[in-house]
Amino acid sequence: MSSDHGVHESRHPTLKQYVIIAIFLFAITIVEFVIILPEDFRGQGWTIAPLAILSAIKFAAVIFFYMHLKFDNRLLTWVFLGGLALGFAVVMALVGLFTAWTPSPRAFAEDHAKPCTLDHELGGCLEDPSKAVVAPTPGPAPAPDDPGTAPAAAPAVPAGGGLVDTGRQIFITGAGEGAATPCVTCHMVEGVPEAVGLLGPDLSHIGTEAATRQPGVSAEDYLAQSIRDPESFIAEGVDRATPGLMLAAITAGLTDEDVDALVAFLMAQQ
Amino acid sequence: MAHQTEVSHHAPEEEHPTSTGINNRKLLMWVFLSSDCLFFGSLIATYMVYRGQSLVGPYPVDIIDVPITTISTFVLLCSSFAMVRALAATNEDRQGGIIFWLLMTAFLGTIFIGFQVYEFNLFREEGLRIDTNLFGTTFFTLTGFHGAHVTLGIVWLLGLAWIARKGRLGPKTALDVELAGLYWHFVDIVWIVIFTLIYLIGGFDTGPAGDPSLVPHSITGFLGLI
Ligand code: HEC
Repeated sequence: MSSDHGVHESRHPTLKQYVIIAIFLFAITIVEFVIILPEDFRGQGWTIAPLAILSAIKFAAVIFFYMHLKFDNRLLTWVFLGGLALGFAVVMALVGLFTAWTPSPRAFAEDHAKPCTLDHELGGCLEDPSKAVVAPTPGPAPAPDDPGTAPAAAPAVPAGGGLVDTGRQIFITGAGEGAATPCVTCHMVEGVPEAVGLLGPDLSHIGTEAATRQPGVSAEDYLAQSIRDPESFIAEGVDRATPGLMLAAITAGLTDEDVDALVAFLMAQQ
Repeated sequence: MAHQTEVSHHAPEEEHPTSTGINNRKLLMWVFLSSDCLFFGSLIATYMVYRGQSLVGPYPVDIIDVPITTISTFVLLCSSFAMVRALAATNEDRQGGIIFWLLMTAFLGTIFIGFQVYEFNLFREEGLRIDTNLFGTTFFTLTGFHGAHVTLGIVWLLGLAWIARKGRLGPKTALDVELAGLYWHFVDIVWIVIFTLIYLIGGFDTGPAGDPSLVPHSITGFLGLI
């Protein structure tokens, strides 16, 4: 490096040049703002190109004059532009990867979304507010619940049949045509995507818990009784075990086979 | 140069001959800025990939305020001008000018951060948090890291002003100011990109055209179907 004191000064733009660049940067920003001022222009695809070009000009003005790359060793320009090019390539590669060859995250989510009346107090979806026997905290606004718009994704039941799968099916959809409120409206079970109800107790581990509810009553018997005659016993110390919700009417339509299947399914929830 | 050593600790370093012909500290600064391009590049790419993918509001169009942010963009541009004035004052050994312009740069940077704090708070009140939707996540991560860069720059500038107060900055130590300036201008150009992308281009994005009550059934349900 030269030991000449004035080397920095002589290589830097003058005050006048700096002021001109500042005004230039301001002007471009104003132009950018004006481009998106008319409401019809906002968010239009064609605005992207001019906005990107104007920004690139601002970008170049700052690095070449304010950061005085123009007056400095060429190597610095290559060092920086190299990183910039690499960064740009990363952006293009990532955007390409995620948009060109895979379905958009939103399309995916939309495909798998269900209409939902959010109940903030319950912290979940009110599966079917019209059918819930007593909603302790009614949804904030009655949603325009048009059954026509419901995607009604058929629950994915693993093939193979069996009592547990039958029970799972009944748990999700209710038994037969015109069945009363399905169990999933009020109960959540981990691993069952449809079971997100938050009105009744979490049944994720009921298979193990059931045996501890009533002394001398086996898990199976307890479950069968809870279903056949839900109002006869209310478990103590269980979250959301609110009396008067799981009414006998809900389960009155279930046949003995249905109850057996449900018990088998619940017993599998360890 | 021996007579200069008592004025500055850095002067001898500056005079070292290097194989590149560039002062090593300066080269290092540029290499760092070059790599920071990759850092912001990844965050920008993430924003672009998830742009318009949020299923629940608030969406950009609901809360992005372009006019206010244009003002804060002006403030940041002004700070870059103040920064070049600080370097010029250092080269010309105008002691009062050095301190004034360094503090002015830091002050304008602080105003910019003030705008950002105001904006983040407003967004939070309007229901957009980092975990609300993809827009919130990518927005706060990108602009938050930029804000962190600005904050670091402010601390750096204040540190320089503190040193300048003892008359230790001058033509011989101009590189100290120059390096801070390079960093500061870099943060400014990153904002130029962010402002264009998130505000001018993406600021009017709306949510899905369909039913606003359409949200993923639940996290478990969503994951269960993958
Ligand atoms: C209207 C909401 C609702 C529906 C629908 C409902 N339950 Fe319940 N369920 C509850 C509530 C509330 C409790 C806790 C109070 C009680 O025991 O009645 C409960 C308790 C239970 C228990 C005992 C849990 C424990 O921890 O001891 C079982 C087992 C059970 N339900 C199974 C079912 C099954 C199977 C179905 C579907 C046929 C069903 N429930 C439908 C609300 C409901």
